[in-house]
Amino acid sequence: MTTIESRTDELLIAHLLRRAGFGGTGADLQRFSKLGYEDAVDQLIDAIDTASLPQDLIRRYHIDQSDLRTRGSSAGNWLYQMVTTDAPFIEKMNLFWHRVFATGQTKLIQGKAMSTHLDMLRAHGLGKFDDLLLNLSRDPAMIMWLDNQDNHKDSINENYGREILELFSMGAGNYTEEDIKECSRAFTGWTVANTDYMALKMRNNTMRPYGYVNWQFKFDPDDHDDGEKTFLGETGNFNGEDIIAIICKNPATAGFIARHLYHYFIADELPVPQWSHFPPLNPQAIEVMTHAYFESGHSIKAMLRALFLSDSFKSPVSRNARVKSPIELVVGTIRLAGGYDSPTSDVYDHIAASGYMGQDIYAPPSVEGWMGGTDWISTGSMVMRVNFAGEIIGNLESPGVQSLIASIRSDAGSSPTSDSLVRSSLKNLGELQVADDTRNGLKEYTENVILSPSKDDESADIVNSGTHPSIISNSAIASLLQLIVATREYQFV
Amino acid sequence: MTTVNTGNTQTKNKLNYVDTIGFGADVGGRGFHIPVDLSIRPDGRIFAVNRSPMHRLGIRVGICDIGHRWYHEFGSDGTDDGQFVSPTAITHGPGDRVYIADEELNRITVYNPDGEFISKWGEQGSDPGQINGPAGLKFTSNGDLLLVDHLNNRIQRLTPDGDYISHFGSEGSGDGEFNLPWGIDTDANDNIYVADWRNDRIQRFANDGTFIDQYGTSGRDEGNFDRPSDVAVDHGGFIYVADWGNQRVQMFDLNWNFQQSVRGAATVSPWSQEYLNANADEAEARTRFDSFVEVDATEPHEISSRVESYLWDPTALEIDPEGRLIITDSLRHRLQVYQRSNE
Repeated sequence: MTTIESRTDELLIAHLLRRAGFGGTGADLQRFSKLGYEDAVDQLIDAIDTASLPQDLIRRYHIDQSDLRTRGSSAGNWLYQMVTTDAPFIEKMNLFWHRVFATGQTKLIQGKAMSTHLDMLRAHGLGKFDDLLLNLSRDPAMIMWLDNQDNHKDSINENYGREILELFSMGAGNYTEEDIKECSRAFTGWTVANTDYMALKMRNNTMRPYGYVNWQFKFDPDDHDDGEKTFLGETGNFNGEDIIAIICKNPATAGFIARHLYHYFIADELPVPQWSHFPPLNPQAIEVMTHAYFESGHSIKAMLRALFLSDSFKSPVSRNARVKSPIELVVGTIRLAGGYDSPTSDVYDHIAASGYMGQDIYAPPSVEGWMGGTDWISTGSMVMRVNFAGEIIGNLESPGVQSLIASIRSDAGSSPTSDSLVRSSLKNLGELQVADDTRNGLKEYTENVILSPSKDDESADIVNSGTHPSIISNSAIASLLQLIVATREYQFV
Repeated sequence: MTTVNTGNTQTKNKLNYVDTIGFGADVGGRGFHIPVDLSIRPDGRIFAVNRSPMHRLGIRVGICDIGHRWYHEFGSDGTDDGQFVSPTAITHGPGDRVYIADEELNRITVYNPDGEFISKWGEQGSDPGQINGPAGLKFTSNGDLLLVDHLNNRIQRLTPDGDYISHFGSEGSGDGEFNLPWGIDTDANDNIYVADWRNDRIQRFANDGTFIDQYGTSGRDEGNFDRPSDVAVDHGGFIYVADWGNQRVQMFDLNWNFQQSVRGAATVSPWSQEYLNANADEAEARTRFDSFVEVDATEPHEISSRVESYLWDPTALEIDPEGRLIITDSLRHRLQVYQRSNE
């Protein structure tokens, strides 16, 4: 095992923790830095959650998160898992798939279906793509989202048949309109139990008389077109499983999923609708992942391992180069501040904050998910981002923030300087890299407001600073943290 | 007659499904929205307190009877006198006064029999008489109030005005210790039964708080519990446990011999039928609806989410003056009524 000692490698580990999770604290960096990079990758992608806040506790105190009727309840429940898990890569992948397989409660109405959909992603999101696509096709939320309950033997509805090809596997330009029809025929009869009543309840948007009844997949053989079909050049009495097998062995599928992974984990690509017109920005990176896909028998985890070990991912050019999505910013900041150790109504405010910044979890703007990139940033959303992060990281009543500050004090030494305080703070915020002018500004603030406050300086009163380094108050250090999370650099991942 | 699989297992004492009372009413009016506890007055009137977390208009107490007659409602969301934020428990005290516990405000509010505010008390803390997360209420035969002070892991005995008398219990898993207890009941001999929620057991105490025995282990088999939320004892000494995590109610004799487990068998109540009568499209679609649909899940909570007739978070239990068991079927906004038959 190689131990990472160089600063360069610490920065690489920090990059990995940001992209494959929600960032790490100084303690996280220390722990992963003791591993070699390759072992760190394996530990992250193989991790199994052992720390999430137990669902029984959540359900007792938030009984709305037991029936999960509303979007706030279901999204809040997911936020608990994102914040408290010790396997953040799994939740990061769930966010990835939620963007690719965009389904929304705006149409589905009941949040429980979305949570069941999430459970499916959690169970299959890192496995064989064939299994994921099969379970996606049987997923009640997806069936109802794309109207497959209306896809009948004698009257096909091609909504799902089209999107599974265009958005979920191969991408436009790799199949014909006839393939869409044949694909749709193969998925006839794939519906939910109590189809008529469930569809009506969704349309009428009513929980009466006894609350929503969660949907369940049902295959109706009487409504399934068992006739001969020709799909992507192959002919047979194909059903949905056969279609998925044909899709998953097609090179276009590997390339399309690889491009999505690159788009999410390495660098912003062109918007998905343009992919059929323009080649990938980094064909070599795509090639590495498609090779892993076929070598591993269509394993998503193998693709990701290849991605994280690739030069494209490790390149300094890729670091801090993507804008954090709102949910990444929310989760990452709360985790830095210690997360949740018990059920709290704050979870509802926090998931709402993500929405105010432009990302309502479980309510993507369209079937193509969120555009992301610089679309996340506007004047309004930037104010929300800065205010949210500042409020969380400046909450001195939070044990997590107190611990963070204690760690900063320890790292800064007994006679802290502006340089050591800034350096320690950036390290404990996940080895955040800042430009020289930002660093100089932070040091100037630290020197003038925290370490040597002028009696005339009102800021000194605001941060309640002492005049001697040994009596620097927690609020003074918190003010520095608030300044850091307001920087341009904190908006990137 | 159609025979349905209600998921029940049976032995010699039988618990028979009788009726369903309720209707989802998330903004008030006749019906319930996430009822979490109920209390039955000697005249048979049922008072159900609704938690209604995301639909604050649904927070109130609804009053009805076993014959589906709706009387009125009182209380609302808020912190003013007579309001509550996160109600957990309701019981009747001397003079048929109504007591409601609020775990967020850490207070008990007292109402007259008509639901008019009389008083409130409660101070957060762990000293004697202070409370932290009141979760269950029960008056003893001599008029003392037993309060499940769940975050302090103890049972406090108070006067009806909230003055401290004594307490028993502490945090732990040993005899007489608790891990976030919830519901409480007493039997004809004034013994006290506590649902020791996170220890997956029921503990029985003498009236003075002396430990008698405990029953239950974690699991899904008969006699196992998964986070029991409430316990009730009927006039014959039979014990009923709201096996919350297993989404069922189990019945035992007074020696903890397992009698029966019920998963729920709800039918369309008269209030619900009126709704369907007024919504022809739903009524028509419901003619093809199977409320006992066979599911491909194994986790009880998930199963209950898909089977409308099953209990979904059976939170509280009460025995009515006729000996019927009333189950608060919280997430289905209704009460399921069962009756024990003699051998």
